Amino acid sequence: MQEPYVLQVKDLHVSFKGQSGMVRAVRGVDINLPKGKTIAIVGESGSGKSVTVKAIMGILARNAVIDQGEIWYEGKDLVKATEEDFYQIRGKKIGLIFQDPLSSLNPLMKIGKQISEVFTVNYSMSKEEAKEKSLELMRAVGIPKAEERYNQYPFQFSGGMRQRIVIAIALANNPDILICDEPTTALDVTVQAKILDLIKQIKEERGISVIFITHDLGVVANMADEVYVMYAGKVVERGTCEEIFLDPRHPYTWALLSSMPDLESKDRLLSIPGTPPNMVSPPKGDAFAARNRYAMQIDLEEEPPMFQVSDTHYAATWLLHPKAPACEMPKFLQDKIRRMREEAQRYAR
Amino acid sequence: MKKYMIGRVIAACVALFLILTIAFMVVRLMPGSVYDDPNLAPEVVAMLEQQAHLDEPLLVQYAYFLKGVIFENDWGVSAKVEPGVPAFDILKRQIPYSLTINVGSLALALPIGIVAGTVAALHKNKAGDHVVSILVVLGISIPSFVFASCLQYFIAYKMGWFPIIFEPSKGTGMQIYSLMLPTIALSLSPIATIARYLRGELIEVLGSEFMVLARTKGLTQRQATIRHSFRNASLPLVNIVIPMFAHVLAGSMVIERIFSIPGVGGTLISSINTNDYSLAVATLIFYALISVLTSFVIDIVLGLIDPRVRLGGSSK
Ligand SMILES: Nc1ncnc2c1ncn2[C@@H]1O[C@H](COP(=O)(O)OP(=O)(O)OP(=O)(O)O)[C@@H](O)[C@H]1O
Ligand SMILES: [Mg+2]
Repeated sequence: MQEPYVLQVKDLHVSFKGQSGMVRAVRGVDINLPKGKTIAIVGESGSGKSVTVKAIMGILARNAVIDQGEIWYEGKDLVKATEEDFYQIRGKKIGLIFQDPLSSLNPLMKIGKQISEVFTVNYSMSKEEAKEKSLELMRAVGIPKAEERYNQYPFQFSGGMRQRIVIAIALANNPDILICDEPTTALDVTVQAKILDLIKQIKEERGISVIFITHDLGVVANMADEVYVMYAGKVVERGTCEEIFLDPRHPYTWALLSSMPDLESKDRLLSIPGTPPNMVSPPKGDAFAARNRYAMQIDLEEEPPMFQVSDTHYAATWLLHPKAPACEMPKFLQDKIRRMREEAQRYAR
Repeated sequence: MKKYMIGRVIAACVALFLILTIAFMVVRLMPGSVYDDPNLAPEVVAMLEQQAHLDEPLLVQYAYFLKGVIFENDWGVSAKVEPGVPAFDILKRQIPYSLTINVGSLALALPIGIVAGTVAALHKNKAGDHVVSILVVLGISIPSFVFASCLQYFIAYKMGWFPIIFEPSKGTGMQIYSLMLPTIALSLSPIATIARYLRGELIEVLGSEFMVLARTKGLTQRQATIRHSFRNASLPLVNIVIPMFAHVLAGSMVIERIFSIPGVGGTLISSINTNDYSLAVATLIFYALISVLTSFVIDIVLGLIDPRVRLGGSSK
């Protein structure tokens, strides 16, 4: 039997010991990563995206506790894995690219060595061999004059170039899974597009499965096969790109889509009112209720379960309950989605 | 690197020249004269002053002084402390003693401080860390001369394990043996300072993003720590360890007194007290030279460790 998913997160709960109590950062997340596919996790700052991937990588902060849940990779539950088990997985099987390429490279070590030490330390290659391999990678991620760049230091690189180096480091181990935690947030727009193209190209060439984290739905559209929308430590909606963009069901996804800039609605950008809830004592019921125009009485009392919309599409909102009153998404968003649909059809032709 | 070095050398030379000038002027402008002695006849004083060019304008004196120093290594002759002996010879005799206890105490402090700081950082907020921080507080708050007196009284006098004061006459081995206690006394505060700094720097580096990246590369915590944190943590350490040399030297004046060590510290005090111009200037310059050298060494070492300094990049 062939395992359809390379990585499966089941009902993951992560808390942090804080001064004012336990911070419930992740409260029951399920993720299925199909082999060779890209899934995107989107959500506002603080929704628990990074904590989720840190749990997968086994690099949670010391004050973190995994309260419950499972993370299945190659028949092993990573929640129960020891640090020694992780030495075989971290980097080598699951690579991670960070948000901030400025601080993720060691300022005092030559770029070349930061890549080649993967080969010399992890695979005991000779220095020459490691250098050859590293230069190859540097060229593959689009560093011009790799030979010369090999002996330079991070401060001599631009932000975009540094992110390419970080990608090269992740690729050096030839991982099965690449996790990109907001890889372009710290870069300017023109560079962002290039890095995204690079990640896409790498994914296609190497058949890697990718978890792509962002709070910008705009970049998701042309990257991901499947989208997970997270809010306050939970996945509130998941579906294929098409389903999330063209047929969103959760009011939070509506709000996210409404706040996404597009050509015609520039003047009508709606930022999501209010702020995410305090995660030390998350609210009863639907965590989004306080910011939700469509909230019903039950949203304040009981947490909505995941309702199935289609085989691939799920959303956790009481609006999908058979007895819920019919509720339409805002007119403005309907227009926007209609425009997206037209555009998609134009591309398809 | 070459360009950087040349720049540092020029800067050091300029600093030395300025210090030479200032030391000379300050000492000469002090009130009184070496020959203020009621027992000497005025003619004799006049003659002596003429001999030492003291009757000429200050700038001319300065020119004589520079000429002597630069071309003949002539730093003048002591007039009071050891009359008739060239200042250079006096210092040459005394410097080895001072340097021995200074270099010795730093050589002792570095490994101990580094180990203590590392233990504390790697066991942050655990027993090892608490023990180190208590020692650090003691080391920083107890002045070295108090510690020296305690060592002298308990270890040397009561227990008899070490000579009480410096033993000049019984051969090199005995001399070194008798210099051990003062060396230990001097190393206490450097140990505490190094341990405290290294702990802070290491903790910061260990929590940095590139350490996380090092681990997500597949390095073990141990490999990541060794390869990525010590060098980064030692960078700020350079800035405090090297100037310590000058600090310890200043602190050793008192220690030299306590243990009767014939070092430079006593000479500075007595030469200034007795208006022994030449000797005072030479001694001051010795101390200044050490300071200039240490900051020169800092620059070079920082350049070696930090490419941003060496290659003239921005240091963030
Ligand atoms: N070490 C920690 N100690 C305490 N709380 C933490 C810690 N790390 C994260 N948190 C909390 O966990 C929550 C989720 O954080 P996380 O970093 O996963 O957000 P995110 O979705 O990645 O946001 P962003 O888009 O800003 O990266 C936040 O409320 C944060 O304050
Ligand atoms: Mg994050």
